[in-house]
Amino acid sequence: MNVAVMKTKAEQAISESFEAAAAKLPGSAPVKARRAEAIGTFGGLGLPHRRIEEWKYTDLRANLKEVLPAAVEDKTPLSIGELIVALGPLAHVDAHRIVFVNGHHRADLSDIADAKGLAISTIGKALQSASEEAVASLASTPAGGDAVEALNTAFMTDGAIVDVTKGASIAKPLLIVFVRAGSEANAVTVRNLITVGEGASATIVEANVVLPGAVRDAHLNVLAEVSVGKGATLNHVRSAVDEGKSLHLSNCEVTMAVDATYRGFQFSSNLGFARHGANILFDGEGGKLDLSGAYLARGSEHVDNTLVVDHAVPHCESRELFKGVLDGHGRGVFQGKVIVRPDAQKTDGKQMSQALMLSEDAEFDSKPELEIYADDVVCGHGTTSAELDSDLLFYCRSRGIPEKEARALMIESFIGEALDKVEHEGLREALASYAMQWLGRSPRG
Amino acid sequence: MLEIKNLHVKLEDEDREILKGLSLTVPKGEVHAIMGPNGSGKSTLAYVLAGRDGYEVTDGDILWNGESILDMEPDERAAKGVFLAFQYPMEIPGVAGLTFLRTALNSIRKKRGEAELTTPAFLKLAKEKGAKLNIDIEMLKRPVNVGFSGGEKKRSEILQMGLLEPTLCVLDETDSGLDIDALRIVSEGVNALRSPDRAFLVITHYQRLLNYIVPDKVHVLADGRIQKTGGKELALELEKSGYAEYSNKAA
Repeated sequence: MNVAVMKTKAEQAISESFEAAAAKLPGSAPVKARRAEAIGTFGGLGLPHRRIEEWKYTDLRANLKEVLPAAVEDKTPLSIGELIVALGPLAHVDAHRIVFVNGHHRADLSDIADAKGLAISTIGKALQSASEEAVASLASTPAGGDAVEALNTAFMTDGAIVDVTKGASIAKPLLIVFVRAGSEANAVTVRNLITVGEGASATIVEANVVLPGAVRDAHLNVLAEVSVGKGATLNHVRSAVDEGKSLHLSNCEVTMAVDATYRGFQFSSNLGFARHGANILFDGEGGKLDLSGAYLARGSEHVDNTLVVDHAVPHCESRELFKGVLDGHGRGVFQGKVIVRPDAQKTDGKQMSQALMLSEDAEFDSKPELEIYADDVVCGHGTTSAELDSDLLFYCRSRGIPEKEARALMIESFIGEALDKVEHEGLREALASYAMQWLGRSPRG
Repeated sequence: MLEIKNLHVKLEDEDREILKGLSLTVPKGEVHAIMGPNGSGKSTLAYVLAGRDGYEVTDGDILWNGESILDMEPDERAAKGVFLAFQYPMEIPGVAGLTFLRTALNSIRKKRGEAELTTPAFLKLAKEKGAKLNIDIEMLKRPVNVGFSGGEKKRSEILQMGLLEPTLCVLDETDSGLDIDALRIVSEGVNALRSPDRAFLVITHYQRLLNYIVPDKVHVLADGRIQKTGGKELALELEKSGYAEYSNKAA
């Protein structure tokens, strides 16, 4: 039977954009085959919309009307000075860094010379020469992947491949920096592959930043595939800061081995329309997960954090804390699914999602989902949404603190509880500075 | 000088009048106590002086140094020297005491046209003033008042007062919830601030506090008005006879 699938204009345009870009996208023949396959998968799925349960509050189809050309190449000039401006507070963090501009690696801006214990290469290069065997790990769409992940396979141009050597303890964080710059509105698609070897520990930041003055329209699709080895620890900060108009789609697929620790943090501010997915699989006993985040949205901005934590094995612990500040018509979406499989006894899971509503028109949609099939577990979840406490405001103001500053102080204190989950002090302070910038305050000197 | 003239106050969303023509004058350098039964309007007076939302002044005026403060925001009043020590000091989770104090002090200094204090200068000052109230720097690194005992909260109020150096200090039931040692420390803190440039309005239900903070005058507030004014001996009288006489008058 032939089923005629009705395509929206945008879906049609995405397929056409792929046809136009395919020849210029990096990749060996097996990679090209995977890309073609992925665009076919996308064609079948279409853009997710509100009648798909997982996308009920984040109607991508309705919000992706105009398709931007794929950023298949980039010649935007960017100096070190401009990179520092784009990084803002993150520039103060003493870190190794690998830099991509509009989805293309820039060795001249990167600094990974003394990154002992880290093997760093790029996806762009790896795709060029990928064999049939290599393609499975380099250019596949994660199992159960959705349309956004399929598009990532189809369009990805570059990204970082990071291997943390077994047993290595990396003191300095590694920044994987994606800079938006230039005057051409385009769609940037990148992927990072992060593998943390047995017993190793590292702090890795995916920083999406924008050079002030860059075109405000932009589409970003970022996928991270992360594997945390036995007894290894990864602190993984994903930060996206833009200028209020961009469309950010990101996904993070994490597999945790026996006794692995993964501390993920998602920071968002000034994103036009964003959906951050995180899928975590406990693949070995004794895993410890902290998945937290903070987001700030105003105007008509939209930020969605959708998490799936799969307790597939016993004796694992998960903690989730997300805090959002919503002003104007800003909208926050939190979907937190925790699956406890029948064998996953002694699972300890806690989830909390809180929103601070600064205006009458702000909206917060929170959907905790606990699917528990084991009977000896401790699982809890909570959601709150509240306005600023007027008694507290009065207290601050009676001490001479002007209203604007008193409000900012209280918002900082609200968001601070989530930021405290970031263990690295410099990174925590950089994110706090981003939050203060959003509040219109200069970072504390 | 604080001049409260024929002050009428009602709750914004209720028609009940709470202060019904209260008049009172506190010259600089003096400590005046306001005593009264529960529900007489003591806390309302404190909040209206500090500029809290939710109250409507329907008549009368409050002048501080000859200037009406009724149209001023709470932070403007603070910059003019008005300070209210709360009966129930607020907890501010996530904001370190030092951050709060420094933000407050520098806001006020800025409004007064003074230079902001640097971090080291501020820390030195906070340490010095805290020591007198048994508040060490570790306590100030913790979030404001979070997990503090009743006594610690009141001491932290007095520390704020000492740092901000207001000229009109309103103490709302500062003795409530204090044991005798805490009462002594808090009172010493207040007494240390007594000066010819500063006026105090000490609101209390009990005479006990006035053994430690000896007032120049005592006013009895009942039914939204000052019913009687006398010297410190009036407090002792009230302790003996209670407020029945004034409550009857009110009824």
